[in-house]
Amino acid sequence: MGEYSHLFQFFFSGITTGSIYALIAVSLVIVYRVSQLICFSQGEFFVFGALFMATLISKGVSLPLAFVISLFGSMAMGGFLQWLLIRRIQGSSIGNLIVMTIAIFLALRGLALIIWGRESYVVRPFTESQPITFMGASLQLQVFWIAGITVFVLLLIWFFFEKTMLGLAMRACAENPLGASLMGISVNRAAFFAWAWGAAIGAIAGMTICPLLFTQYTSGVMPMVKGFIAMSIGGLSSIMGSVIAGLMLGLVESYTIGLISSKFSDAIVFTLLILVLLIRPSGLFNSQR
Amino acid sequence: MNIMERLKKAWWILPAVILGIIPLIFKEKSAYVSGILIFAGIYIILAVGLDLLMGYAGQISVGHASFFAIGAYSSAILTVKYGISPLLAMFFGMFLSGLIAWIIGRPVLALKEYYLAMATLAFNEIVITLIIEIEWLTGGASGLKNIPSFSLFGFTMKNNLHYYYFVWFVVFLVVAMTIAIVKSPMGRTLIAIHSDEVAARTFGINSTKYKTGIFVLVNVFASVAGSLYAHYMGFIAPDDFGVSTSVNMLVMLFLGGFGTIYGPAIGALFLKILPELTYFFQDYELLINGVILIIVLVFMPKGMYGIFVAMKRKIGFSRE
Amino acid sequence: MKKFLIFILLLLFVGLSATNIGYAQKPTGEPYVIGGIFPLTGYLSWLGEYKKKGSELKVELINEADGINGRPLKLVIYDDQSSPEQAAKIAQRLISKDKAIAMIGTASVPISGAVASLANKNSIPAIIGSGYEVNPEKDRFVFNTAHKTDFAVARPFQYFKEKGITKLALLMPIGSLGELGSTLARKYAPSYGITIVGEEKFDVKAPDVTAQLAKLKTLKPQALFSFCTGEPAALVARNMAQMNMNIPVLVSHGNANPGFLKLVSNVNVPIIVPAGRAAAPDAIPDSDPCKKVIAAFNKRHIAKFNEPANYYSAEMVDAIAIIAEVLKTTKGATGEKLRDGIENLKNFVGMQGIYNFSPSDHHGTVLNDMMVFEVKEGKLHMLLK
Repeated sequence: MGEYSHLFQFFFSGITTGSIYALIAVSLVIVYRVSQLICFSQGEFFVFGALFMATLISKGVSLPLAFVISLFGSMAMGGFLQWLLIRRIQGSSIGNLIVMTIAIFLALRGLALIIWGRESYVVRPFTESQPITFMGASLQLQVFWIAGITVFVLLLIWFFFEKTMLGLAMRACAENPLGASLMGISVNRAAFFAWAWGAAIGAIAGMTICPLLFTQYTSGVMPMVKGFIAMSIGGLSSIMGSVIAGLMLGLVESYTIGLISSKFSDAIVFTLLILVLLIRPSGLFNSQR
Repeated sequence: MNIMERLKKAWWILPAVILGIIPLIFKEKSAYVSGILIFAGIYIILAVGLDLLMGYAGQISVGHASFFAIGAYSSAILTVKYGISPLLAMFFGMFLSGLIAWIIGRPVLALKEYYLAMATLAFNEIVITLIIEIEWLTGGASGLKNIPSFSLFGFTMKNNLHYYYFVWFVVFLVVAMTIAIVKSPMGRTLIAIHSDEVAARTFGINSTKYKTGIFVLVNVFASVAGSLYAHYMGFIAPDDFGVSTSVNMLVMLFLGGFGTIYGPAIGALFLKILPELTYFFQDYELLINGVILIIVLVFMPKGMYGIFVAMKRKIGFSRE
Repeated sequence: MKKFLIFILLLLFVGLSATNIGYAQKPTGEPYVIGGIFPLTGYLSWLGEYKKKGSELKVELINEADGINGRPLKLVIYDDQSSPEQAAKIAQRLISKDKAIAMIGTASVPISGAVASLANKNSIPAIIGSGYEVNPEKDRFVFNTAHKTDFAVARPFQYFKEKGITKLALLMPIGSLGELGSTLARKYAPSYGITIVGEEKFDVKAPDVTAQLAKLKTLKPQALFSFCTGEPAALVARNMAQMNMNIPVLVSHGNANPGFLKLVSNVNVPIIVPAGRAAAPDAIPDSDPCKKVIAAFNKRHIAKFNEPANYYSAEMVDAIAIIAEVLKTTKGATGEKLRDGIENLKNFVGMQGIYNFSPSDHHGTVLNDMMVFEVKEGKLHMLLK
């Protein structure tokens, strides 16, 4: 049994990192779907969510309450930024919009430095217990929280986009902005909610994942880059696609490390990414094109 | 009127003269000022090249720093480990970058928009990983030290001032070349491909050839910038060639004015000088730099170059 | 109008956040300017803060004691943003704009390399504190108050030998520190009877390293060596605990600081940390001349920052103390004179050890200045003196 336990451990490691990538990719896809915008400030919502929750917990607030407060805080921040900044330059080129999100990223990072300083924060797992062992391999319980919350978020998104008026309107905006505005749907309003949603899901990702990491003001970049990759493999606008792509990315990474080389794993994974893009130029899971 | 026309054509003499006398104005601080402007010049080469690729040929790149790295490492390795003269090393770097760009250009440039961005980003990461892991050649993550100063025909440019004039000479050369390309029939072809590739093809334009050609040229520029950088720093490490550097170049591009050539140059200059003005804010520096970028983007949606154009119109220099 | 409002709002924001920095100076006369190059933003910023605090306090103390022959010291600090390019820029600024007579700081090998290049070019001494190995023949103006990285490997290996540990696995971060660790482990393993059973690498930003650990676990090592600092070190230890790998893990000597101890407070794996004396002053005997220096400085450091000095602050405090000591005797502070002064400095008692510099040794400290500790209940316990 011990002989093959490392093969299972590769699997668990892949699931752990993959579930992290998947959740972040979802938050990126939400913004993309509605505003066709790649949001570079998404990693900062991740950081703000996690650090705000860590601060609340250290002040004695209970975990569920801290989670909810931080969630709505981030949501408000996302909406506010869209209202204050993105809306102003709505008419300019997509490149300008993307650079605006980079500028927002820099400013938020600077703000996080002032608020939280340079130290790393530790958040305890949502449920304190020994890791699960299976065939000699171990998995942290927090991964189940990540998986459960991802499923919950997916259901929520599905419900919102399929069953509510606002959600349907937002979808209409994504698919045909001109048509939507002719129908009296405010594109601005849809974008506002997309940012609020995107920020909220980014914060959820941060809060759910932070017990596995050590979070500081610079922690937003890694999740964002991996989220971008998962998103492009998944076909940009497909939420389910990006979830599967995120999990796959995690698994490919850990099996590359485990079976091929931990030295060149990054180079191998990125070469695979380029190959995937060349073979399926619109992502593996994009059924729309 | 004839004189006015001529003056307009020779406008570039003004910035050249200003740049020429700047180090003389600052006297004892000139090593510092010229040092900053050397970095700015190097990034202008990068940003202008990127603008040719993105603003005219319409091909996104989030991995421009990868060829910057290839140029820098070619120069550093050849001069440090094999004792080759800096000029030859630079030419080798240009050749190598061009070759790599030509090989990867054809397949990768078939991708569009966001997917192209991801592929170039991935390429950047691959280059960095290889630099780190081929340690015996590149010095790995610890970097490569004792890179000699640039020398030209036996004259070694140890002094910042000498190197400053040399770098800016190259900058002017690159900008002039870029402008020439943009104004040539090739430039118009590129714009045609950018605005509608399918239409361009139906007119018999071999878009792949043009796209690959411009990709090679732009990355040769980046390689030159890398060589200049390595000889000035005297030391290079992979830290400065990552995706964040590539993203920084994108910021220069859009901040200055996308698709205007002069705009990205202004953007690069601005972004390289800005930290020198805000450093005393200390912990607030990061936030303030971000806020300044936001302000520029909100108030100058067409980039900083747009302001110049507007000013020119007001003064009545406009052709319209 | 709305645009204008936002503009005012943002401007107000910028204005409010502007800070004013000034130093209380007692001694009069033209100050000696020392340049400080610290990573205050970017991935190394958490340790830059320790360095900045320690060096600012040291300069304050020197000026309280009437400076150097009546002339005050002035420390000009810039942020290198954890980037070699930025470090080169600010080193140039310190040299030609601020007219610094010497530079201190830096926190990683690449950044030290960039600063060293400018120090040598301009003949301005730089006392750095990182794993950068100074080669006095080429780095004529570079000194290093961090212990040689060799010591941080050789000393724990000595401990392993005493404990009978012979099979060691390496899990190295991708980066300069990991490269150094790997090279040095292979260099010293034979002399301490240690076999290296396997080596894996990991990305310092990765959220999980259990795949690498599982691979190494199959080789049945008696100890693990992961030469990394801060978060990645804590992650390795945490993942080991998760996988029930209850073998000692040796991490880098930069981890002897309160930040790291907090990160691993609930990790049940023996963590071995090599460190200098400043990390655990209570554990050194009273006969040690360094103890008095550490105690005196710690008193003020605790009073000002509510925490004792640590490895990072001690490096920089010693760097400033060395410059101050040499300035007292050197007339006219040219780069060459300062360099010669430092090279001739013998038996100088600092926080990190007793320095003996020479034209062929720009580190000054010896193997036994490095000690070996284990982390237990958030505190450092000495294993090897």
